[in-house]
Amino acid sequence: MEEQTPIENTPQASKAPEGPPQENPTATKSKLLAGALLAVVLVVGLYYLNRYWIAPAVRAQTKSDGNHPLAPAFSLTDITGKPLNLSDYQGKVVMLDFWATWCGPCRIEIPGFIELQKRYAAQGFTMIGISMDDSPEPVVGFYKELQMNYPVAIGNDRLGDLYGGMPGLPTTFLIGRDGRIYAKHVGAYDPSVFETEIKELLAVSPTDEDKGFHQAGQVFGDDKVELGNRAAIESEVPGIDLTKLTADQKVAYKKILESQQCTCGCKFSLLKCRQVDYRCSLSRKLAQDQLDAFLKVKSSGVATK
Amino acid sequence: MQTAKKRDLRHLRMLLWGWVLALMTTSLGWAQNNNSVVEAHAVMATDAAHANSPLKLAVLAQVAAGYHINDHRPSLDYLIPTELKVDPSDQFTVKDVVYPKGALKRFAFSDVPLSVYEGTVVVGTLLQAGKAVPAGTYTLKAKFAYQACNDHACLPPTSVPLTVTINVVPRNVPLKAVESDVFQRIKFE
Repeated sequence: MEEQTPIENTPQASKAPEGPPQENPTATKSKLLAGALLAVVLVVGLYYLNRYWIAPAVRAQTKSDGNHPLAPAFSLTDITGKPLNLSDYQGKVVMLDFWATWCGPCRIEIPGFIELQKRYAAQGFTMIGISMDDSPEPVVGFYKELQMNYPVAIGNDRLGDLYGGMPGLPTTFLIGRDGRIYAKHVGAYDPSVFETEIKELLAVSPTDEDKGFHQAGQVFGDDKVELGNRAAIESEVPGIDLTKLTADQKVAYKKILESQQCTCGCKFSLLKCRQVDYRCSLSRKLAQDQLDAFLKVKSSGVATK
Repeated sequence: MQTAKKRDLRHLRMLLWGWVLALMTTSLGWAQNNNSVVEAHAVMATDAAHANSPLKLAVLAQVAAGYHINDHRPSLDYLIPTELKVDPSDQFTVKDVVYPKGALKRFAFSDVPLSVYEGTVVVGTLLQAGKAVPAGTYTLKAKFAYQACNDHACLPPTSVPLTVTINVVPRNVPLKAVESDVFQRIKFE
């Protein structure tokens, strides 16, 4: 609110004003312009404040609610030919990094991971790299070039789906000594972000869930840890669990999906989009919604069209 | 004095409403569409084609803001190039594919600037219709293959499927030029 100058201090104070003071149109316009500019600056400032400070803090707090799913088990062969089973690392803190050699942000994280492995291996920590490259050759070359000191195996889409799908690479999971996932990071981060979390998890006994875990790093994109369901991953409609349907119901359900188009831009039917690109989160959601509606109709006994 | 106060309050209300309106409109822009980082479609340079004649096709790809895809000739050997892949066809042969020049940009994850495509990307293809292709409607399939990243993370390599319908007409039927502004941007040799 603009400060009013007391009338006795103005040059006109000696004259008694006859009516309300005359409005200066130029001053009014200037005020409005200043106000509009201030509004724009505030909106932009609020956007960046929310994105880089408020939202991550809120997410960090909500993640420490004790809801830490068990990390899905896997058995692979690493690129040196040795078996790589997650179960062999029970009782250790594991940082599971999904990456690829064609991914620049993934590559710049690796030297930091090598350092973390050196620093904390003796305390019960291990890195595991899961490369999402199509073939091992570039991975082996990169592994040797950087002298990576932790196991690396070639992953696949099914493993990625078990871990909730890869919204982007790198996607890194922190698994505690109790085998539970405590953090998920999508995108490249400074090693110090992971180091804080590793140290906290190393301090917890293998039998206790770290209910007070506070994720230190900023979370990027879809940070909720939702793991995949094997039945959904191996389903005739990839990503959709059809175990509740009879054979006839599966046929009817698939016809429904064939009759509807996915709106992700692929121009395929929902069924084809699931089969061709099961990473498409839109067709997955639409197909799941259709399944829920289908099951509801079936259970209410109303005939479908 | 009272009137001035009322006027100031009115101005303040206007400013506040303006702020609320600005917040509402910008919040729409905050929503990210994670489903399609690249959308693409194909257009022909003419409304039809003649047998035993060249024809031009252009693919217009739109890369979502904040993302980039690699140049067809990427700056580093480990990067996955952008590529237009035309399916083999009995009626049409690919003679040339013309890619745009990328823009050099610096990213936190690379020591060197990278040549990338952002925004609208136009790729041209020169096709040749076969000698004895009968008049009729034909479908040509292609894929716009790319691998997208933003400053922090990369999406897996993927492609946009494309379907082009080509009408082959008798030689005595004149062809009409279409999408001239698109094809002017492509340097066919």
